[in-house]
Amino acid sequence: MAYDPRRVNTGSTTPQTPPPPPPPPPESSATPITEMDATQNEPSSDSWKLKFCTVCASNNNRSMEAHLRLSAAPTAFPVISFGTGSLVRLPGPSITQPNVYHFNSTSYNQMYQDLYEKDERLYRNNGILNMLDRNRNLKWGPERFQDWTPGLPRLEHLSKGDKGAIGTEGGVVDVIITCEERCWDAVVDDLMNKGAALNRPVHVFNVDIKDNHEEALLGGKAILDLANRLNEAAVAQRSSHGPEGWENGTGAARQSFDELVPEILADWQELNPNLPALWTLAWL
Amino acid sequence: MAQATDDLANQVVQLNSARKLVLGDAAFYPQIISGILPIVGAHARLELRRWGADFLAETFSSPMLATAQKEQLAQNVLQSIQETLQLPETDSAVLQSLVQTVASLYPLVFRHIVNHPEDAHSWEKMNTIKQEILKRMDSFSCPVKICCVKFLQRVVQVQTPGLIADPRRPDQNETSLAILPRGHTVLMIPHLEAEASGLLDRLLAVFQEESSDALLVNATLNCLAPLIRTRQSIANKIINTVLDFYPAKHVQPPFTPTVRVSVKSMERTARALLINVIKKNPSHPMLGKMQVYIERLMQSRLEVTEDASRKRGLPTEPTDGLDTAKRARLDAMTPPVLQIPPLPPGPATFDKLFTLTQDIGLSSFDVKQLPPDLVVKIAVPLLAQVNQSMLTQAVDAVRNRYETVTKEQNLARIKQQQQQQPQPVATADEDDDYEPEYQPMDVAEKDSEDVGAFEPEVPDVQAELVSLGPFVLPQPPPLSEDEAGEVGRSAVSRVFSMINMAETSSAPAKAKTQQLGFTRLAGSNFDRDAWVLLLTRLATRAPAGLESGDKLAKGQSSRRQPISDSIRETLYRYILEDFRGRLNITITWLNEEWYNDRIQMRAAASARDEEDNDDDEEAVVSIHYDTWVLRLLDGILPYLDSRDIKVLVRFLSEIPEVTVDITQRVASLAKDPERVNLCVQALMYLIMFRPPAREMCLNTLEDVYQTYEESRPAAGKVLAKWRPQQTQPVEPATNGAVDAAPPAAQAEAQASAATE
Repeated sequence: MAYDPRRVNTGSTTPQTPPPPPPPPPESSATPITEMDATQNEPSSDSWKLKFCTVCASNNNRSMEAHLRLSAAPTAFPVISFGTGSLVRLPGPSITQPNVYHFNSTSYNQMYQDLYEKDERLYRNNGILNMLDRNRNLKWGPERFQDWTPGLPRLEHLSKGDKGAIGTEGGVVDVIITCEERCWDAVVDDLMNKGAALNRPVHVFNVDIKDNHEEALLGGKAILDLANRLNEAAVAQRSSHGPEGWENGTGAARQSFDELVPEILADWQELNPNLPALWTLAWL
Repeated sequence: MAQATDDLANQVVQLNSARKLVLGDAAFYPQIISGILPIVGAHARLELRRWGADFLAETFSSPMLATAQKEQLAQNVLQSIQETLQLPETDSAVLQSLVQTVASLYPLVFRHIVNHPEDAHSWEKMNTIKQEILKRMDSFSCPVKICCVKFLQRVVQVQTPGLIADPRRPDQNETSLAILPRGHTVLMIPHLEAEASGLLDRLLAVFQEESSDALLVNATLNCLAPLIRTRQSIANKIINTVLDFYPAKHVQPPFTPTVRVSVKSMERTARALLINVIKKNPSHPMLGKMQVYIERLMQSRLEVTEDASRKRGLPTEPTDGLDTAKRARLDAMTPPVLQIPPLPPGPATFDKLFTLTQDIGLSSFDVKQLPPDLVVKIAVPLLAQVNQSMLTQAVDAVRNRYETVTKEQNLARIKQQQQQQPQPVATADEDDDYEPEYQPMDVAEKDSEDVGAFEPEVPDVQAELVSLGPFVLPQPPPLSEDEAGEVGRSAVSRVFSMINMAETSSAPAKAKTQQLGFTRLAGSNFDRDAWVLLLTRLATRAPAGLESGDKLAKGQSSRRQPISDSIRETLYRYILEDFRGRLNITITWLNEEWYNDRIQMRAAASARDEEDNDDDEEAVVSIHYDTWVLRLLDGILPYLDSRDIKVLVRFLSEIPEVTVDITQRVASLAKDPERVNLCVQALMYLIMFRPPAREMCLNTLEDVYQTYEESRPAAGKVLAKWRPQQTQPVEPATNGAVDAAPPAAQAEAQASAATE
């Protein structure tokens, strides 16, 4: 039998070509938004975007992964992030010996140095150092949600170069996304305690993500997808709401961003059945 | 056109830098506000109006800007807002921000007017704005309506009395009706209160609507917490309204994912609100109600989201005024009503009496045609499925028929006796289904044997057919040995479960009851000890004299475990589970065994004396004590650690008899260097306080001394006292040594010598 190596090659490469297509869809779903932004940049619908806030227990893994995703997206969302725990808890040498730090006063860099000195090999292998390294490039340190005063200017974060700080100078957000039901409960409860002094509505979502690196990665992706969908609707409302725009729109176009939120979440949930979601409309 | 956009872009850039300035230092606010108002006012371009409205909202909600300053700025802004609103403004982004601003402004202006009654003009403007918003609220687009909800809440909060934290410092008090003096020239308390009450109703109306909008419901729920917390006068009304709200009730059947998201969010938000209220006041008078509500929410959530299809059936029922409990019972109480045909005319037969079906095919079917095993196959599953209420109905029907029949027949008999005439024939002619005469044979064929029992009586008088003869339950078939053993074992296991129950339930009670000592009766109160005693006696005494028979057929029965041994086995395992805690049981049991062995031996001896025949088998008495004491000791020893001296000493001192085997077992402890002392001490105890076993133990101790190096120091001391010549090999001579034992030990020694 004649053996033609090239034929074998082509034979093996042709089946390999189909797999690549899957990656493009996420991109294509993301591109229309940027395109829309570009086209609607006309007069001054400028770079208006929804402002996000991500929350998990320790403001280290899940909320920071989402923080990274949102701030690094092509749309570069304004984003801040928090933790709802009483202390920052990172895995230690055993389950009963976590590394514990204080919120608001310990920087990611300090934690990094601390763990680096304690046991570099251990914390390199379990991914904690990589995580802290990512975090310290995003913002200064973990912040506690309950200590946040909505509406308090966050200029220093901007000057420190926190990622996602642009747009959040005013200290307010439109959407809060928690990564665990416990955190969602804590956030909703805390907002009630704060007394809603700003009179400003905020959508509070929960996307249940297990607290490990892999799930955080997947969860971050899904949160970005949700954020894109929400932002798309909000931008559409804002740009069509001219004197002649919104009034003349029909059907779904007439629905405001807020009204679309349950639908958007439901659609998103169908695509992400493994990340049980929850939502409410609360007040800052 | 291009220039216009450039201008606009420039302006926005400038405005943004101005904003950055005030964000950095709130002191610039007054300056900036007065600067931008003309630029972003009512007649500015949309982009500027949006920017301006956003900025105003931000300004008046900023925690950086002092309330006093906001109060001052508010006067200037009111005019601009009023104008913008009355454009009329249609852009919802602008409206959203404006309503937010007004919500922030309202308490500021109110407080200002309270302190400056002369500035009625400002209040008038504020009022106009308020009325404008309230008037247009329902026609606003959804996002604006949401902001209006918050505005309503703010107005209600201001116009209801709050708490006065410190009467001496009025500026510290929260803005509420409580800070308003009675004779205020502009603000009338009753008027404001009435308005607030109306607005509260409007705010809460969202919970009573037919189909609820999740956005508005959630927005309302989330802003109620401060009202409940700080406004005593309306808190209960709000909570009651929320408690009457069930999100799942407000949705219509097509359960789209969107609807599911909405319902879930409303339920979770309502729950969050109540939990917030409970947390703030754990002794809230309505705590119970709120908890019930939360639980009910959790249930209904399961129903709606997990199993939407189950909900479909419900709306057909009259749901009003029926709570779930009633509804559920309705469900269960509506089995089909049995149609009972009247008894067919003609003489009553068992056949007719019991035939409830009107299906001729069925009623004429002869069951006897079926082979019995098939009948069994059909009947058993059918019986299992019998509907309770159907059965009741059927039995009632038959009873009714029977009563009427007997009554008729009694009447008939009386007549018969009077007229001496056979009656049934007369009535029978008219019917096709008529059975000319009562045929007992027929009945016997169709019915089971029970009926057959009546046969001899039936021909005499017809009425007799219903009186039952005496029925004797047949003797049950004798149990096979296997079955008996099985039943016995299950009984034993139940007694063991009683022990466990007594153990868990009477733990606290045990402390109270005092030990009764010798005067007690065995098993007089149903605690653990009583059951244990029962078990040990079951094992040792109950089968006395029964098992000797087994011994004869040793070859066959040895494979089967007699019941008493299975009890012993279970007891053994039960004790080993926690031998430290169950030492009592061990002692009781072993004493019973030993006692039983003695009794058996004595009985065997007397039997031998009586019969005097040389049947060897008779003499054999199985000795249980030795076997079980060694098994127990073997089971316990591996788990003893060096601190368990009390357990071991108690065991050794309280068992009724110490044998060489036992001391050997104890000596084996010395193999373990850690437990050498345990071994020596235990033996020492026996030497000191158990004279009958003393020699045995001393021998063992000597062995230990010789064999295990580690035991020398401890064992040496003991031997030095009891056997000064210990260095020599075994020399059993220790006469004077007994004196060394304390008097108490001697007394006990005599006591136990009696039993040895």
